[in-house]
Amino acid sequence: MTIRLLAGPTPAVGAESLADHRARLGDLPGRTERSRLIPTLETAGLLGRGGAGFPVARKWAAVAERAKGDAVVLANGAEGEPLSHKDRVLMSSRPHLVLDGLELAAEAVGARRAILYVGSEHAQARGALEHALAERAADRSSTFSRVPITMASPPVSYLAGEESAAVHFVNSGDARPTTVPPRPFEKGVGGKPTLVQNVESLSHAALIARYGDAWYREAGRATTPGTALVTVTGGRRPGVLEIDLGTTIAEVAEWAGVASSPGSPVLLGGYFGGLVAGAEAWRLPLDPAILRGAGTAFGAGVVAFMGDESCGVATTARIMDYMAGSSAAQCGPCVFGLRAIADASARVATGQARGDDLTRLRGWSTSIAGRGACRLPDGATGLLASSLRVYDADWSSHQHHRRCTAPRGAARIPA
Amino acid sequence: MSGRRALDSGMRLEIDRIACDAYGTCAELLPEGIDLDEWGYPVIAPGNVPVHLLDLAKRAVDSCPVLAMRLVKAQAPVVASAPPPAPVLAARADRTEGTPPWPPRQQNRAPKRSPEARRRR
Repeated sequence: MTIRLLAGPTPAVGAESLADHRARLGDLPGRTERSRLIPTLETAGLLGRGGAGFPVARKWAAVAERAKGDAVVLANGAEGEPLSHKDRVLMSSRPHLVLDGLELAAEAVGARRAILYVGSEHAQARGALEHALAERAADRSSTFSRVPITMASPPVSYLAGEESAAVHFVNSGDARPTTVPPRPFEKGVGGKPTLVQNVESLSHAALIARYGDAWYREAGRATTPGTALVTVTGGRRPGVLEIDLGTTIAEVAEWAGVASSPGSPVLLGGYFGGLVAGAEAWRLPLDPAILRGAGTAFGAGVVAFMGDESCGVATTARIMDYMAGSSAAQCGPCVFGLRAIADASARVATGQARGDDLTRLRGWSTSIAGRGACRLPDGATGLLASSLRVYDADWSSHQHHRRCTAPRGAARIPA
Repeated sequence: MSGRRALDSGMRLEIDRIACDAYGTCAELLPEGIDLDEWGYPVIAPGNVPVHLLDLAKRAVDSCPVLAMRLVKAQAPVVASAPPPAPVLAARADRTEGTPPWPPRQQNRAPKRSPEARRRR
């Protein structure tokens, strides 16, 4: 296992100081090397870690091209996904790495303003970043001129981290998505081209700036190079791990002390992601390209083991209820569609299925995607569709015999 | 679409989902290309508007009480080898749509009303 972002003292001891950070990683490279950062990120093959997996260099180049020196950079640490903790662990333990990445991004895209966008309930992360900002302000040996960095604290909600919602919150205090385009890279904070980049992606960029693209590509065991933070739940040792991309789910299971048998379903990516089952699922490498090919997603790096004993239908019903409650209530198909899905799932899960509930759920799992301003309906219905496949027999027995054979109810995952 | 293929106008219908309030006017004016789901929100047939329906599509756009619909120039296929566009406004089953690419309208809107509430308006 290659450990990079979380190398150094264990995250449990808290934020690394500026002095320790410098002593461990050294200063950022000089201006000439920094001016080549976007092409370096391109050859490194760094993909965004907020969930969509978009190539980082292309995003930076798009903003730089449009902004002509007047861009905004927003470090996205909203982390509204209930199953994900990795951004909080990173911000709380390596605040200077996040800030290095933010400053490098600001310089590379030509930003005059940078924003740390951190969920208001992520108090430890915010505290670490605020302290780190103060340390940097008091530091005289700074290597390059810095953009002003401000903190924005959205309410923690599933959608607050969606990039148009982030821009909307900074512009008007309303953390709900807007209709796109214009996308943030075209017209974002204050109407300026805005780079919205997840804090983990920025931290990888800060290491690539120091050590180069070839170094970055040394890690990774399958198609996609590099390491990634993943949040693992469902085992005896849940938590945040840094893995080489391409590490198999079985290896992660062993690491996290998962007792359930190989082949029991795994939720990948997050509530936006999908359930996978079967022995080959456990052999699947956690690699964005390979997972996409297998019909699922790396997403925000969530690996949640559902276990053998929990009821997949009950778990899905809980997640659907959460997703319906997370709707920003702006688009009709999302408002009514997700609520209908949540209600029907709950009826099926609790033995109160109506005649056509399961048929209707199957229909909604394909008829609502793509019909919202943001991708919440796509994410929710994608997860539902994967559950209907993976737990097909369970959905049927719940619907037709109103019977649940699982020893326990819903999997113990936050929702 | 039995046999004859309709001429492609090169235009696509897009909906601002936040603005859309399920008036249903569009589906009344252009039933060939727009269905309503069970809550009254439009489902647009995949593909571009055929030439012979373009005038009706324009009327549907102009008649939307909340101006939530637009005709936009369809983007050229990104890859040369991309599959040919779906039969124009055909096959009312399995319709899918992309995210509408138009600018935001005012964002603080009244909450969406249920179909029952709308009938009372």
